[in-house]
Amino acid sequence: MRSIPLLTLLLSGWFVVPAHADEAQDWLTRLGQAEQQQSFQGTFVYERNGSFSTHNIWHRVQDGKVRERILQLDGSAQEVVRLDGRTQCVSGLLVAGLGDTPNSAARALDPQKLKNWYDLAVIGKSRVAGRPAVIVSLTPRDQHRYGFELHLDKETGLPLKSLLLNDKGQLLERFQFTQLNTADTPPDKDLQPGSDCKVVNLESDKASAVKAAQSWRSDWLPPGFVLTSSTARKDPATKNQVNSLMYDDGLARFSVFLEPLNGEKITDTRTQLGPTVAVSRRLTTPQGDMMVTVVGEIPAGTAERIALSMRTDTATTQQ
Amino acid sequence: MSREALQESLSAVMDNEADELELRRVLSACDDVETRETWARYQIARAVMHKDLLLPRLDIAAAVSAALADEAVPAKATRGPWRSLGRLAVAASVTLAVLAGVRLYNQDEIAGVELAQQSNQPGLVAPQVKGPAVLAGYNESSEATGPMANGVLQGQPGWHDQRLPGYLRQHAQQAALKGTESALPYARAASLENR
Repeated sequence: MRSIPLLTLLLSGWFVVPAHADEAQDWLTRLGQAEQQQSFQGTFVYERNGSFSTHNIWHRVQDGKVRERILQLDGSAQEVVRLDGRTQCVSGLLVAGLGDTPNSAARALDPQKLKNWYDLAVIGKSRVAGRPAVIVSLTPRDQHRYGFELHLDKETGLPLKSLLLNDKGQLLERFQFTQLNTADTPPDKDLQPGSDCKVVNLESDKASAVKAAQSWRSDWLPPGFVLTSSTARKDPATKNQVNSLMYDDGLARFSVFLEPLNGEKITDTRTQLGPTVAVSRRLTTPQGDMMVTVVGEIPAGTAERIALSMRTDTATTQQ
Repeated sequence: MSREALQESLSAVMDNEADELELRRVLSACDDVETRETWARYQIARAVMHKDLLLPRLDIAAAVSAALADEAVPAKATRGPWRSLGRLAVAASVTLAVLAGVRLYNQDEIAGVELAQQSNQPGLVAPQVKGPAVLAGYNESSEATGPMANGVLQGQPGWHDQRLPGYLRQHAQQAALKGTESALPYARAASLENR
């Protein structure tokens, strides 16, 4: 009766695999809802090549409004306070011209869509910050994005730990809670911004945002990535107009920056900062040479190809 | 041929992105001491940038061009056992140089991502390539000068130094604005300010 174990194996394989995929999808849906519905406070660490930092987070959902404050605990006191996804105040250097871009609403995590570009699976259980967790893996279906491993809180669906992995399985960055309290709602005093938190003024943002003179498009994009915002602003230091485009596939994101070189001879470069790559390529256009810089959490080769594929719509361009 | 075009070609060869024309241009200029030095400097600069000073002495261009020079001798020349062995050696040395180049290239890819490797990540992870240890590398000096980490490429290195931090910051902040997982992009953005 050798065939019985084999048959069982086959059958279990048949039933288990789709079940796991659906389960992963359910968990991601829960993750998407959790941050809109669950109050919590906790401490997390963020680690990437060359950087390790610790942060506190207070997150309160009350009367349908989500208020959140994040404060870095080591080094400089980097801080951000957000209300319903809108940044209220930030410490450190805020780039002007970002606050109020059209369609800048946060997009919900859509497991149905993600399934096109990632294999979703529940791959096990773990324990993070003293809480039982479920491990959901998002394995990319092509070489144009990185894989995620999410450890989601069993009780609430909140992400307790998130790892970004390249195609060789190497860890690019780690986000991990060390302590999380979902029982108590954070009090008002913890959600008050500190004195160094500069209020974000949307009016001044609008002033530095300028109308895009050229429209840009990409001849090639990695499958699944769509344009989610497009801005143009004047750099206060150089007086150059910098166009920026942001694309995402529902999870991974990259930005493309286009800046005129004004005759300067600049060499192409490539830089990697933990999970983030920055690739600069010179592009010849009828209006003069431009520097195209692709910045994002995508593999370097993909960023390179995107940088080489940018074109203006106004006229024929040549690389 | 202009110096600048040559340097661009050099850079392209280093990035494994040279077309045949560029490769020929570099190879033909390779006897020039200055070019060789530039090449070596690029390699070292690149290695430093990726914190990966492993094989700065490897001179692929020289190896490849030497191999090609040998090959250029017409095949009509004396045929003997040593001759064919020599040709085999040429082929082998080209292969070796190419392999070494590929390896160098791939190490670049890996070098940026060395992190405290986790010993057991369930499921997802295949056996890992142990890269050079960059542990406890937080706040290295190269980080302190900005993401470009030095004037790696000649011209005005200041251009990228000036802009890249701003680009990175803008990307991170915009991602934080759009992100559903709000804390992660924020942490990325904050980690850029920590230098």
